[in-house]
Amino acid sequence: MDDLLVEELAPSRKPGLRKWLFDPFPYIAGGGSLALGLAAILLAGFVGSLANTHFDGVLDIHTGRAAPLGTFLAEGLIDWLSISIVLLILGRILSRTSFRSIDMLGTQAMARWPTLIAAIAALAPPYQRYVAQLTWKLLGVGEQVPLHSTDPVFFGVIAMVSILVIIWTVVLMYRAYTICCNVAGARAAVTFVIGLIVSEVVSKIAIIRLLMLQQG
Amino acid sequence: MPLLPTECPSCSSKLAVRKLSCDECGTVVDGSYELPPLAVLSKADQEFIAQFVSASGSLKEMARLLKVSYPTVRNRLDDIITRIKQIQEGEEHGNG
Repeated sequence: MDDLLVEELAPSRKPGLRKWLFDPFPYIAGGGSLALGLAAILLAGFVGSLANTHFDGVLDIHTGRAAPLGTFLAEGLIDWLSISIVLLILGRILSRTSFRSIDMLGTQAMARWPTLIAAIAALAPPYQRYVAQLTWKLLGVGEQVPLHSTDPVFFGVIAMVSILVIIWTVVLMYRAYTICCNVAGARAAVTFVIGLIVSEVVSKIAIIRLLMLQQG
Repeated sequence: MPLLPTECPSCSSKLAVRKLSCDECGTVVDGSYELPPLAVLSKADQEFIAQFVSASGSLKEMARLLKVSYPTVRNRLDDIITRIKQIQEGEEHGNG
């Protein structure tokens, strides 16, 4: 294989950790990314269920409400399908090239893997104690939990981690969108933001309907 | 082997072939021949096309050989198609 061609297609021939973390899609898409992404989404749902951390929207992470495991898994899948389908439709309308649906579904699934980090971080006992205290104070649900002096600090740090995870996920979703649809510049940015807003609304509606169905 | 120049180093206009020669008998043909669109592409683009044809036009096979994702290869092909269209349009305008 000619070095010049390989270098032009993928400048980092052996992608380093940074590339895999923030821009993996020049190297992986399609079925491989779909398998990895779905595994990460389901694992994040399972870990989330251990600490009642919900991914209840494309851009949402909330901790508190107890629910069956199926709800946590369904939320992750709804988020992924919402953003994938909305961007697929936008891409079909706007992109000047033909692209495979499996690439969009796969890369968008893989783009959600950082949510696993947020789910794991939320397992930390200080964070759990502080959330339980807040839930009791604000909603009158559960019971009062004695707090340690450092719990608010831990809560703040993990809240920041969650925000960074959302930003990281958005960056990956954007990169997945641009490479799948071969769009760039302002056109890509504007259509992605529109897609993100629409998918957030769609996922919220779908998750609320799911909860209503569960409550009968 | 030196790279085939396709643009005039002085005014950046497209270059044409003025002279062809036979290494065996020394025959020299003089004239003015336009470079074909593929010859005007960059060396990497020409190599991509050669690999693409060798892979029977399979983008999936290209992605496997180059160890990159399918969309990366397809986007590169899109870029080359755009470039060829620009070259052809330029030729049409030049002839018109």
